Amino acid sequence: MSNPLLSPALRRTLLEAVVLCVFAFAVGVSINFRVVFDAFSGRTVSATRIAQTAPVVEAQPDAAQPELFPFPAMLEELDALVADGALLVDARNADAYRAGHLPGAVSLPLGELDAKLAGFKEQVPLDRIIIAYCSGYGCPDSFDLGVRLLQEGYAEVLVYEGGIPEWHDAGRPLEGAGQ
Amino acid sequence: MSKFGTIAYHVCRLALAVIFIYAGMIKADDVVGFAGQIANYRILPYAWNYLVAATLPYLELLCGILLLLDKRVRPALLVLFVLNLVFIAVLTSAILRGFDIDCGCFRPNSEHPSPPQAALIRDIGFGVLMIVTWLLRSVQVRKEVE
Repeated sequence: MSNPLLSPALRRTLLEAVVLCVFAFAVGVSINFRVVFDAFSGRTVSATRIAQTAPVVEAQPDAAQPELFPFPAMLEELDALVADGALLVDARNADAYRAGHLPGAVSLPLGELDAKLAGFKEQVPLDRIIIAYCSGYGCPDSFDLGVRLLQEGYAEVLVYEGGIPEWHDAGRPLEGAGQ
Repeated sequence: MSKFGTIAYHVCRLALAVIFIYAGMIKADDVVGFAGQIANYRILPYAWNYLVAATLPYLELLCGILLLLDKRVRPALLVLFVLNLVFIAVLTSAILRGFDIDCGCFRPNSEHPSPPQAALIRDIGFGVLMIVTWLLRSVQVRKEVE
């Protein structure tokens, strides 16, 4: 039975519009499969950045020491890591930290690292597990901070790439928010 | 259709084609940055921002290419018009909630961000352009049938 509200031409237009959407969706997901898959599985940019940076390291066989990269940490792993004594480190600027941060996190903005690193190293032993985070969505500060902390001698540094937005979307509370 | 109507149709069609091919290409080039801009609207859950950022540019690009080629013009216009309505709703929501963010309409992390107010006016203009193109296309099709 035909719908009197829709002429055959309009029905065909609607059908073609749906096909367009499905085709574009399939193309977008195919091309960006890794990004989408990583986002839905809790890993976002770290692995990609390591893959992009690694060949540069391999091209310098004479380097005195190999460059180290932090591993990604997923949201589901954070609780167990923190219970094991891991320290959450907020790589965003101080204002963003004051506006709200992960519970128990300390502030170490990448932009102020040179000024604050000595004090940080006095308070945090080198064998403590560090989990750096920032604003998610490819925010590079946590990864760059992780690389610097590894270079400074910290043995185990992880990056929580989901950062503040994933934490917040998971319904978890932020410390300092709304104060 | 008059010669003026035909010229007006092609001008409108090509203008929309260029706008959406440009918008799609530059957003497809920085999916992660675009995901961050979608997230600024605080509407979707975390991972869904990536899914939208990964697919929306290709929809804009595909519709733009169809308009450029003068093929499947009405389906492409319909998709872009619905998208435009969604953009208008999202921008209005951002304005009402007092967000001072870059609209993310074109280049992610641009040095010259567009505030939501300016983007809203621009999207209303695009909507009018789409309606005009649709009407001119309908007249053209009717003329071809006759």
